[in-house]
Amino acid sequence: MQPGEANKFSMLSKPAAAWKRFRRIFPRRGESAQKDRAGYLMTFPYVLHVIVFLGYPLAFAFVLIFHRWNVYTPMKWVGLGNVKLLAGDPLVWRALANTLYFLLIHIPLQLALALGLAELLNRKLRGRNFFRASYFLPFVISGVVVTILWQQLYATETGLINVLLQRLGLPKVGWLTDPRVAMPAIAIMATWKNVGLYVVLFLVGLQAIPARLYEAAELDGASEWQKFRRITVPLLNPTIMLVLVLSTIGGFSLFIEPYVMTGGGPAGSTLSGILYLYKQAFTFSKMGYASTIGFFWALIIFTVVLLQRRFVEKEAVE
Amino acid sequence: MKRSWLILIPLSLLIGCAPSRTAREDEAGGRVSLTYWSATNAQELEFANEVAAEWNRLHPEVQVRVEPVPAGQSSEEVILASIASGTTPDIYSNVFPGALADLQDAESVVQLDAFPDFLEVMRERMPPEVLEQYRSSDQHYYQVAWKSNPVMVLYNTRMLREAGVESLPATYSEFLDAAARVTRDRDGDGQVDQWMATIDYYPIWYKRLFDYYPLYLAAGGTALFQGRRVVFGNEQSLAAFRFLRECFARGYVPVQTFQGDVFLDGRVAAKFTGPYSISHLERYRAADFEYGYGPIPRPDGAAGRPASYADPKSIVIFKTCRHPREAWEFVKFVISKQNDLRLLELTSQLPIRKGLLEDEAYAAYFERNPRMVQFAEQLMTARSIDSIAELKEVFDIIAQEVEESAVFGFKPPEQAVHDAAGRSQQILDVE
Repeated sequence: MQPGEANKFSMLSKPAAAWKRFRRIFPRRGESAQKDRAGYLMTFPYVLHVIVFLGYPLAFAFVLIFHRWNVYTPMKWVGLGNVKLLAGDPLVWRALANTLYFLLIHIPLQLALALGLAELLNRKLRGRNFFRASYFLPFVISGVVVTILWQQLYATETGLINVLLQRLGLPKVGWLTDPRVAMPAIAIMATWKNVGLYVVLFLVGLQAIPARLYEAAELDGASEWQKFRRITVPLLNPTIMLVLVLSTIGGFSLFIEPYVMTGGGPAGSTLSGILYLYKQAFTFSKMGYASTIGFFWALIIFTVVLLQRRFVEKEAVE
Repeated sequence: MKRSWLILIPLSLLIGCAPSRTAREDEAGGRVSLTYWSATNAQELEFANEVAAEWNRLHPEVQVRVEPVPAGQSSEEVILASIASGTTPDIYSNVFPGALADLQDAESVVQLDAFPDFLEVMRERMPPEVLEQYRSSDQHYYQVAWKSNPVMVLYNTRMLREAGVESLPATYSEFLDAAARVTRDRDGDGQVDQWMATIDYYPIWYKRLFDYYPLYLAAGGTALFQGRRVVFGNEQSLAAFRFLRECFARGYVPVQTFQGDVFLDGRVAAKFTGPYSISHLERYRAADFEYGYGPIPRPDGAAGRPASYADPKSIVIFKTCRHPREAWEFVKFVISKQNDLRLLELTSQLPIRKGLLEDEAYAAYFERNPRMVQFAEQLMTARSIDSIAELKEVFDIIAQEVEESAVFGFKPPEQAVHDAAGRSQQILDVE
């Protein structure tokens, strides 16, 4: 590219302008240009991966919002038909209410349990490494395997939990068959499965808190609770925020547990948004409507996470 | 029939990439080659191989190659994946009639009544009212109604007898009376541990084909739709919902979940099933385990032979077939009298053929297999299912309403039937 050619190019046709832009990215000569080119070449596989497996599907899913398509017949333009359908679909709102209920149980339980366990495991306990590994183990086991295991535990007649309850003289509970209990039961299971990851995150956060702060507080006569409330929690705030966001996104993605254990029942009490999306797409072949639900769900997650950041971070500053 | 489109696209790729001899290669020597996809179970595969071998011996100019339908969560998925990838076989013999609308929408199946002898062959095989159930909404035929597994009620006759029930229930009252006797607390711990029946109410659409739908038909219901209009919001549906509600509300059918086979364990006395359960029972039952099949319960005072769901499977020819005439000749051979007998003998599935019990050709089989007689009797009053693209969604709605109303009593049956019909109509109107 020669100096002074810019004006000439700006007068040229679109292909010429595109060629100019291409040459800016991939200049012909020069050491720096060669380095850049090497960089682009090395990142190219990943960029290609992102375009093929993320960019294209995302764009295609967006296009599907405005179409009806069952995969094996041509797409049909429906404009905002799928959006209108979603607005009037009681099951979408039911799924949203169910998911929020799940989050309401799961997130506080997860936070409290993970933080409590991390606190314990941060102390000098005998067998500390064993416990650390034990809590992390469920997280690395396949979700389907864990779900099937808990399905056995929750079985009304023969499940271990009800057998133990009966031995204690307590009545059997319809863990997965009572609409009032099924979602809390799933939330408990999901917490058990994921808590190990958050324990590790909290442990990292706890170990980053300087010991001198606790020593100074002890000299000032602070109790254990005061140290926890005034030192640990404020300094762990970034970790709490991370755990909150990850748990929220994970909670909104609730799928395997109701899919394997309840199918969304009993009486629709465990129908989650992703399970409903899955049914629309892969049982009823309504790809357009499923895409609409998917984008709606993404919008909800984005909004909830934004609100969390706004309020939780604000509280931390205050 | 579990559905998972999630695997559709990779499946398409797999099917598309699978090495396969083309018809062109085979036809180089002037020979026509047809590919026939059969169900994957060992018995049906054996039947298909045997029939194809016999055909190939008799027709050296038209050779049929049998392949089990490729693996997938359900055969419907695999077929739709093969349509999407353009790799359908010439002939396929395990089509759920309720899914035929999908195949028609994809314009993938051959119109069979275009063959001049199609109606003649089919009318000879089955009564007109049965044949009519397999006609598509455009008044043409795209499937050969081939075989059926009529749904009936399987009873533990020993449990019934011990409870003082002498004959198998046929009506709602008889069933509920028997249930009142059978359902009890065996070990005296204050909790019921023996029930009349088990119904898997897990809200998956196809499960309602084996309880609600047979009850609907037994109550006198016929088609679920007239064109694009829902007609199951009727008395027959209400009767089915009310009966199911009674069973759950009185505790005759447990709401709780179990591990293992509660029927074989002797904890429940009845379940809805087809003739395929015979081989399972014969294999796993205890020596003193006694069983029998009864009709689907229906309203008291109902006249005529009880109806049920036929659970049929059909044969189709795909449009990708380069020799549809030869394919049709092969299909006629598959459904011939002698091959229907082989179907019975090898698979214990009933060919949809009139006069099975009167025909000398099958007499020896039914003599050897007396339990199949009841299913053969049920065959001609058993009904297929409407073929409509939204069938799965409609049955999913019915499954939800059955759960809400019959299982948990959150709404009265009248409201549930009204809601099921209304919600289904909304879906049909949107489409």
